[in-house]
Amino acid sequence: MLEFLDSPRVLHGIYLLGSLMLFFIGLYGLLAKRHLLKIFVSIEIMELAVYLILIALATSPGETAPILSDGLLTFTGMADPIPQALTLTAIVIGVAVTALGTSMAIQYHRLTGHVGVDAMTELKD
Amino acid sequence: MTLHFTPVWFIAVPLLLAFLSPLWVRLRLLMPILLGAHVALFALALSWIPTVRVAPLLETIVIAPPLGIHLHLDAVSLLLVALFNLAGALVASFIWLSNRESHPFNAAQDRLFDSAQDRLRGRPAFILILLLIAGSSGMVLTGDLFNLYVFLEIAGVSAYALTALRRDKSALEAGLKYLIIGSVAAIFFLFAIVLLYLQTGQLNMAALARDFAGIPAPMQALIGLLMLIGLGIKAELFPFNFWVPDIYRGSDPEITALFSGVLVKAFLFVLFHLVFLLLADPTVARTWLMALGATTMLVAEAVALRQQDLRRMLAYSSLGQVGLITLALGFASEATTAGALFHMVNHTLIKLLLFLLTALMLRRFLSVRLANLQGLGRAMPLAAGLFVLGALAVLGLPPLSGFASKLWILKGFAEARVFWPIALILLAALLEAGYYFRWIKVFYAPEPPVTAGQPEGDWAYAPLLLIAGLLILLGVAPFLLEDWFVQAAKALLGRGAILESVLGVQP
Repeated sequence: MLEFLDSPRVLHGIYLLGSLMLFFIGLYGLLAKRHLLKIFVSIEIMELAVYLILIALATSPGETAPILSDGLLTFTGMADPIPQALTLTAIVIGVAVTALGTSMAIQYHRLTGHVGVDAMTELKD
Repeated sequence: MTLHFTPVWFIAVPLLLAFLSPLWVRLRLLMPILLGAHVALFALALSWIPTVRVAPLLETIVIAPPLGIHLHLDAVSLLLVALFNLAGALVASFIWLSNRESHPFNAAQDRLFDSAQDRLRGRPAFILILLLIAGSSGMVLTGDLFNLYVFLEIAGVSAYALTALRRDKSALEAGLKYLIIGSVAAIFFLFAIVLLYLQTGQLNMAALARDFAGIPAPMQALIGLLMLIGLGIKAELFPFNFWVPDIYRGSDPEITALFSGVLVKAFLFVLFHLVFLLLADPTVARTWLMALGATTMLVAEAVALRQQDLRRMLAYSSLGQVGLITLALGFASEATTAGALFHMVNHTLIKLLLFLLTALMLRRFLSVRLANLQGLGRAMPLAAGLFVLGALAVLGLPPLSGFASKLWILKGFAEARVFWPIALILLAALLEAGYYFRWIKVFYAPEPPVTAGQPEGDWAYAPLLLIAGLLILLGVAPFLLEDWFVQAAKALLGRGAILESVLGVQP
């Protein structure tokens, strides 16, 4: 009864819908929340949504990892390796940015006692 | 063994030097290395001018494009790489030559490095400045979209960290704001790259340019919009540039000089490089980009009129010039593009001069608010004189280089018989005159200056005088570089030539 879920079109549609929902949840958090850590979490959610879209839509059901082993001798029916390599790189970059941001947020908190972007008025005239 | 020079050096040398920094600390060589690297790479770039004039240089890494990744060195990327390294060298020499007197403004908060100069001479600043220049050069040189994203993040992360280098309240605030807005921009840009890859299966820019027309029109519009948001935030275009004055106000002026002089130019180049490559007919986007540039320019110049802090005023002035460059590049005719590239060079030099002067003033007066700079002309006559020179160059008065580049842009519009941008550019120059002279009037006010900091050593003025000399030289003799700018404009607009050189086929 649920075989129709295996067709790539339906599956990709579901993935896309879910990822876009995640993206907009992140965007909402970014715009609506004032706590620095919540903002970083929102940014991370947006980023993950973009990775998910890339990974999910570049692979179709039934494809295997692009590694020649266990009797697999030709590159047929294998997933495109580029999106996965790209996502790994992007995840590393994302972690670095978030780590920097979090450490800056901690220092800011230690120095001022604030955790929100509301209190950031030092730079206005 | 002969040394083999390739474009990879522009990225590899700064990265390698940055990662070897513990060695330089031990040998007490930080500042000589920082200056020497940029001077050497600048010289290397100049030595390539004749080669690149014949044909663009393609540096393939492992596999040939479109499958592998490659660096693309043509006239325009060479121009920008040379400019970035010149800017790096000037800032490095300024930091090196300024005196080491303490900077009481921050001494209380910062126990690790007790003055602005020591902090900027420290290891973190050394590494981050090199990474910033390496990332910017990479963005300009790369021919691969995902590498572009990586370099964009390298430059971005080093910029966030440089902003927060002072680690006091205002610097951390600026750094956090920059980090948040910058990573959001990067996500939008990454989204556009992902959609492009899913649609075409390509990441090479030339291959993408070939296949872009095959993407359905609504998807093209969505990709364009995402890229415009991502790069618009980074390149400081109008609806997305609300954050810029805060960042420029919060970071050290020496660092801000690099942001305004190097980083923005790299992002502007990336934006227009992609527009000219992906769209077979750039006139599709012409109206939008020109409107964006014109609004950026006018809004920024109007807001600059009532700024009370020199750094915020210069930030808005920088935005205004970015708008002008966007307006001229967006028109996509050869004359305006060449003029815009010339103006990019000028603007980098002028803003370096003005922001480095701001650094000197900040150290002497401990504040750069309008009310506190009364009578600056008496305490720092040379600084005030150079500021006037820089202001006149921004306005575009005849003996200075700003005149030559603005005239070139205006001539380009006049030849194409499009007159509204000319009117807007002249109006913007009028507004600029308004706010620059407001500051100059205060500098020469007949009131005793209230100085609190130490006077600067004369050596700190050496790089500033060099910039001033370059501004006058380019103003008197623009023909020295004219040929190069025309070549660069042809390279930027020459979509067919890029496709041919990378893919070996005529589009």
